[in-house]
Amino acid sequence: MIRRSLPGFLWTLIVCALLAHNVYLWVGERIRPDTDILALLPAERRDPALEQVSAKMIAAAEQRLIALVGAPEWTAARRAADAYREVLTRHGDLFQMNDQVGANMESDFLALFGRYREALLTAADEAALQSQGAQFWVDAALAKLSSPFSGPQLGAWQDDPFGLFRSWAQARAQETPVRPRDGRLFVSEARRDYVVTPINLRAPAFSIGAQQLALPILEQARQAAQSAVPQAEVLEAGVVLHAASASAQAERELSIIGVGSLSGIVLLMGLAFRSIKSIALILLSIAVGCLGALSVCSLVFEKIHLITLVFGASLIGVAQDYGIYFLCQRFSANSEIDSWQLLRRVLPALILALVTTVIGYTGLALTPFPGLRQMAVFSVTGLIFGWLTVALWFPTLARERAGKPLPLAERCAAASMQWPVICRNRATYSALAALAIFAAIGWSRLSPQDDIRSLHNPPKKLLDDQVQISELLDLPTPAQFFLLRGATPEILLEREETLKTRLAPLVERKLLTGYHAISNWVPSTQRQTSRRRLVEKALLSDDGALAVLAQQIGEDRHWVAALGARLRAPAEPLTVDEFLKAPASEPWRHLWLGKSADGYASVVALSGVGKAGLAVLSRAADGLQGVQWVDKVGEISSVLGKYRYAMSWVLLLSYLAVFGLLYPRYGFAGWRALGPTALASIAALAILGIMGKGIELFHILALMLLLGIGVDYGIFFQEQSGAEDGAAWLAVGLSALSTMLSFGLLALSKTPALQAFGLTMALGIITVCLIVPFFRKQ
Amino acid sequence: MRGFIRSCVWVIAALALLGAGPAAKIQSMLAKPKVLCGRFDQTKQLVGLKKPVKSSGRFCVVADKGVLWRSERPFANTIKLTRDEIVQLQEERVAMRLEAKKEPTVRMINSVLFALLAGDLDQLEKLFEIDGGVDHQSWRVTLKARAPALAKAIGAIALEGAEYVKNIVIDESSGDRTSIVFSAIQTGDGAMTVDEAALF
Repeated sequence: MIRRSLPGFLWTLIVCALLAHNVYLWVGERIRPDTDILALLPAERRDPALEQVSAKMIAAAEQRLIALVGAPEWTAARRAADAYREVLTRHGDLFQMNDQVGANMESDFLALFGRYREALLTAADEAALQSQGAQFWVDAALAKLSSPFSGPQLGAWQDDPFGLFRSWAQARAQETPVRPRDGRLFVSEARRDYVVTPINLRAPAFSIGAQQLALPILEQARQAAQSAVPQAEVLEAGVVLHAASASAQAERELSIIGVGSLSGIVLLMGLAFRSIKSIALILLSIAVGCLGALSVCSLVFEKIHLITLVFGASLIGVAQDYGIYFLCQRFSANSEIDSWQLLRRVLPALILALVTTVIGYTGLALTPFPGLRQMAVFSVTGLIFGWLTVALWFPTLARERAGKPLPLAERCAAASMQWPVICRNRATYSALAALAIFAAIGWSRLSPQDDIRSLHNPPKKLLDDQVQISELLDLPTPAQFFLLRGATPEILLEREETLKTRLAPLVERKLLTGYHAISNWVPSTQRQTSRRRLVEKALLSDDGALAVLAQQIGEDRHWVAALGARLRAPAEPLTVDEFLKAPASEPWRHLWLGKSADGYASVVALSGVGKAGLAVLSRAADGLQGVQWVDKVGEISSVLGKYRYAMSWVLLLSYLAVFGLLYPRYGFAGWRALGPTALASIAALAILGIMGKGIELFHILALMLLLGIGVDYGIFFQEQSGAEDGAAWLAVGLSALSTMLSFGLLALSKTPALQAFGLTMALGIITVCLIVPFFRKQ
Repeated sequence: MRGFIRSCVWVIAALALLGAGPAAKIQSMLAKPKVLCGRFDQTKQLVGLKKPVKSSGRFCVVADKGVLWRSERPFANTIKLTRDEIVQLQEERVAMRLEAKKEPTVRMINSVLFALLAGDLDQLEKLFEIDGGVDHQSWRVTLKARAPALAKAIGAIALEGAEYVKNIVIDESSGDRTSIVFSAIQTGDGAMTVDEAALF
């Protein structure tokens, strides 16, 4: 007796430890699940530089929030924006405004770039300096002299007589349509003027607590703007908005799946066993499973993703399988057998069922998506803890022998007697033929779909706002860019310049509207030197444009010498470091990734890229050393496609592996345990095809899981001998119904990946449940 | 980027001559024709140049369309400002083109411009503090930008006029000084030459 109860006692200690750990986690540490919306995106591991870029870009974007407050009139827009701003400034601990346009912006700009003006030229002016004669530049200078408003100028006439620096500054200004106006940032479109307000969130964007604080304040600010100016339009974009909507969605789904599954299970158990104790036992095994999963996940991972919990909630429908199986056996077994003997009898089936299910979940862990891996660890540990609870506690807790078999089990047994068994007869062949035709029709409609949208599908309003803001601010695309690397900053800048000579014709062809690079602001030293030489020769030399101009406006040699000296840039070139320290570089600093292990890296960002542009751009850097085209969207799609393909093979191999596992116990008859799941998988895919769904990685992963769970039902049936079929069928029926309920609820998820998972599983499980009796032993 | 603000001040200044005043009084003194053309004589005293640079030519302002500024001497140079762009022509060649689509301040300049042409002094007063005096025949005002950055960049603008603006003086903080005198003002349909009309 002691030997028997020792494992149970040890398990009690472990469960107490779990309980204590969870209390510590939730009450002591106050951990909150994380709503990292990037959890489902593949992790970059192959390329450290690329990983660093991603990390930097994400870190830069994470805490940012941008608000555009617009109205038909600038004054109204200002009024609305001031009201919006006023609400946020009251919460300075949470929001930090970055929209203060310094009064010294122009003098700061001049102080930095003015000194290097000779080396700062647009590509067009550089070409004109090479091709045009002195008279061209004299004309330009005279035109500037005679006009009262010849466009923007920086400083006095004598600082930029030929307007070269003006053109360069203008080109730089035009990299963004945002302009300072009345001490605010301003952008406009045909019908509206907008005040642009960049905001820094001071609390972590992925923290649910921060979201719950920030969102109501933003809503309040929106209302304040609209009550100040009724026709005001407020556009907002930021990671925190996506994270907040994702966490609200996840919490909603978590409670729907959790509460739905649990109440379904309680109802089912109540109907089947008509005993509170049975319900309590099943809930106990689920609870220990969940506690174990949470403990282990919090130890293994830095943080638990909310989406793991959403998926993990479906565990409720799976973890109870072993308990149900044991209880069904307990109720219908011969009353002579004590519960320990019963356990010994059902243990092989329970072990096989656990191992196959673990194999099913392992498919998730084989993918490079951190979120899926965490789901796999969560589910597998949950299952193991639930299983151990059944194996170690149930024999003691469910010791009482049932007086008589369950009425429902008797009815099931009676029904199963009528159910035909699959064998070599015409009925079997015609059923298989019908299935084959059905599968052929369904499968012919399946087409692969590896869209990033299956990973993240934000609400339409958020997307619309974001698109509109991107268009208004002419923001570069965050998903596609060139990554450049070089041993020194100089090499890097030269590489940027070479790349830009390839991009310029593409801008002419309207494949993109522009590109942003640090070398736009800081030309390579080599380029600065060649430009200074060019300006020297074309404009400042003895027979250059300045000398000719002097004659025409009646100035002498001394004047030429004095002005020439004024225009010449200092000998040392403008450096990236100097630029990065200046306030003018603020919007562009993220392009410079700085020094890393293997040298320096930078980004050339692109704006206004269309579909046609992508194809050309992906080849634009071909043959250039140290330049890499990065297409995050394309990359994620290709990862999804690659793994969809690979996991299909893993799925087939898993069938072989599971068959190998079953072989020692069942021999070749193992196909009877495996058959229902295989057919159900085929049928589930066919149904998806008929529903017009594209086949995704997540469908294949669901089929892996279906293998893991569906085989359990096959195993339970193989373990029976004739008269006891009722118990197996009851166990399978109850398990299948609760599993289906859990995954069916998961299919309602707004996260497309989870939805695909849930739908495939629900379809598969119900099919397995319906056809598994055909495969029972004769 | 900031330099652009200056250009819009230039425009405002140049346009102010077409009819702006510190008060409703000036507004009532100004004629507000649909088309207004005339001659200008401009003198620029630039830091670093011994002699002042003189130029002269014609200008036109057309309500709902824009402004044309044509230097004839010593050098042919045309600037056209419309709702969607600012274009500078040297002979036939486009020396500079700024589109509102790319440079939002173009539209900002033009909204001020059109406000001016419509006699909308409220609009001008949003950007400038208008200070000055009116006697029975003429008026004189100075404009001071409200935004400190703007004021620092452009210095002071002085306007004199009666039914139309007679002259304008711009003192830049860099020390460059521009003064423009207007004459031979014509209004109505015949004011614009065929050439000028073709440019719009």
